[in-house]
Amino acid sequence: MHITDTFGFAIRALRGARARSALMLLAMAIGIASVVLLTALGEGARRYVGNEFSNLGTHLLVVLPGRTETTGGPPPLIGGTPKPLTLDDALALTRSTTVRYVAPLIVGSAPVSHRQLEREATILGATAELLPVRNLELARGKFLPPGDPERGAAVAVIGSALKQNLFGNAPALGRWIRIHDRRFRVIGILKPMGESLGMDLGELAIIPLSRSQSLFDTESLFRILVQATTREHVARTERAVSEILKTRHGGEEDITVITQNALLGTFDEIFRTLTLAVGGIAAISLAVAGILIMNVMLVAVSQRTAEIGLLKALGAPGGEILRLFLVEAGLLSVTGALLGMATAYGGVWAMGHLFPDFPIGVPPWALAAALLVALLTGLLFGVLPARRAARLDPVRALSGH
Amino acid sequence: MIRLEGISREFQVGDERVHALRGIDLDMIPGDYLSIMGPSGSGKSTLLNILGLLDRPDSGRYRLEGIDTTTLTEPQRAAARRERIGFVFQSFHLLARLSAAQNIELPMTLAGIDPAQRRQRVARTLRALGLADRAEHRPDQLSGGQRQRVAIARATIMRPLILLADEPTGNLDQSSGEEVVETLETLNRDGITLVVVTHDPRIGERAARRIRMVDGAILGSG
Ligand SMILES: Nc1ncnc2c1ncn2[C@@H]1O[C@H](COP(=O)(O)OP(=O)(O)OP(=O)(O)O)[C@@H](O)[C@H]1O
Ligand SMILES: [Mg+2]
Repeated sequence: MHITDTFGFAIRALRGARARSALMLLAMAIGIASVVLLTALGEGARRYVGNEFSNLGTHLLVVLPGRTETTGGPPPLIGGTPKPLTLDDALALTRSTTVRYVAPLIVGSAPVSHRQLEREATILGATAELLPVRNLELARGKFLPPGDPERGAAVAVIGSALKQNLFGNAPALGRWIRIHDRRFRVIGILKPMGESLGMDLGELAIIPLSRSQSLFDTESLFRILVQATTREHVARTERAVSEILKTRHGGEEDITVITQNALLGTFDEIFRTLTLAVGGIAAISLAVAGILIMNVMLVAVSQRTAEIGLLKALGAPGGEILRLFLVEAGLLSVTGALLGMATAYGGVWAMGHLFPDFPIGVPPWALAAALLVALLTGLLFGVLPARRAARLDPVRALSGH
Repeated sequence: MIRLEGISREFQVGDERVHALRGIDLDMIPGDYLSIMGPSGSGKSTLLNILGLLDRPDSGRYRLEGIDTTTLTEPQRAAARRERIGFVFQSFHLLARLSAAQNIELPMTLAGIDPAQRRQRVARTLRALGLADRAEHRPDQLSGGQRQRVAIARATIMRPLILLADEPTGNLDQSSGEEVVETLETLNRDGITLVVVTHDPRIGERAARRIRMVDGAILGSG
């Protein structure tokens, strides 16, 4: 029998039993639709978290003084007396071609006051590069002006909470505040942003790096934030940074570079596992569909006993009959799967419209997997009925037993 | 062409063993026209099923065109049914979802004959049977006699050597039964070996050779 004839025969047989075929298509379509839809949701959640991370700056590397064995861990507690990071170290890093921004940081704490009001606040000594590196946004005013990091003006950008605490609803731009015993003019106010990298961005004052050096009487940097040109360049940048600083520190590897890739990778992993788990649960509905297909096919075989007997009398060998029934099961599965995918795409499209911020999307591997699983399910659960059909005794089958 | 020697067939029914055939000997030559008559349960259908390679005897030898059929594998037996044997049943066994033409085409489809040739042969056969205007009708749109003639067309479309008909007129009224028998006899005159099992003496007597079976054995043949 030609393969096209086999398919033609199977299609006619399926069309001849409309209700039965429709039921099986429905079962398979529901199974596949739920698998695809749920994996799309899982994938959406993964992308969502990924996007949130890139807001934090996925191209970001954090350089800290001292050596830790595990990257991504907390700053070192011990490790001899590491050489401090200096502004010159930071400036040296700009030589690497994969580096876009370098933002040296000094962190301290000091009382900030305006008239009678005084607050203890976090003081960040920084340069203009901090703005793009940390994706900071200003509610009002401007950020620290670019220029020679050795010579900063007496200006400050303050967090929204600090502004509220010192000025209330009164305007703060252009006013003078006192940090410790020095006067700074407020040139910008940050948007309320909550916490980031473990610092409260509300109770915060950012002043030029050189000013913070003299304020806290220190040359050594707390951190150097480095932004690579692209996420792909993060690893290369990490090596370059280590290399440059090692040379500058006399061959001593006394710094630690932390990238967000490790963290992001962990999240990626968690969400991929979650997606697989959810998809796996949905696959149970596929198994249900498979069992339904098996039962309906078994009924079909018993209802078509006489037909099978006739085919044998006409000279169809057992293998041919097996093939016919498997093709029927396969056709049903694949058609059902395609219907299910169309439904799932409809659902994804609808959700995309309802929740435009949620980056839901069907991962291509899920489509391929769903189609394959549907086909395998159909064939697996179709084998038993098909074999039963193929083994029927023709004489008994013809008499309708 | 066909030689049966000592063919026996037993069935286990509950605790009992039923001897459906007891040592049947039978020879046939090409173009024979044979009728088998006998009471119900005498083994007529069982004999026909063994002749048609649908069933195997428990003992005895069955040679078909010089080949010992007991040595054939199941696929070889299927191939022999496809190429050499045609069946006609009392209940027609047409597939309800297929048209008359598609039913007639089915053995050629199973044999892997290409579609153009299939259509040609189906059309010719339908014309010969006077059913050309019924080609696209489904079985439930045909009369009993027409259905059986479609079934005969299907049984002979592969040009078998032997045509086995088990009570082909059993479900038909007298006139359409007559038509069906005439169709079969025309085929026989064209050379096909014809074996008809029947309860109807008027039909049985038309055959050149008449076999009477009782209790699994051939009583007498003419
Ligand atoms: N598959 C089977 N299992 C058990 N017994 C069987 C089977 N087929 C036939 N028999 C028995 O074998 C004997 C012969 O049956 P067979 O069908 O050949 O008779 P028959 O001559 O064709 O009868 P009828 O005229 O009623 O069709 C009967 O006793 C029947 O009950
Ligand atoms: Mg019988």
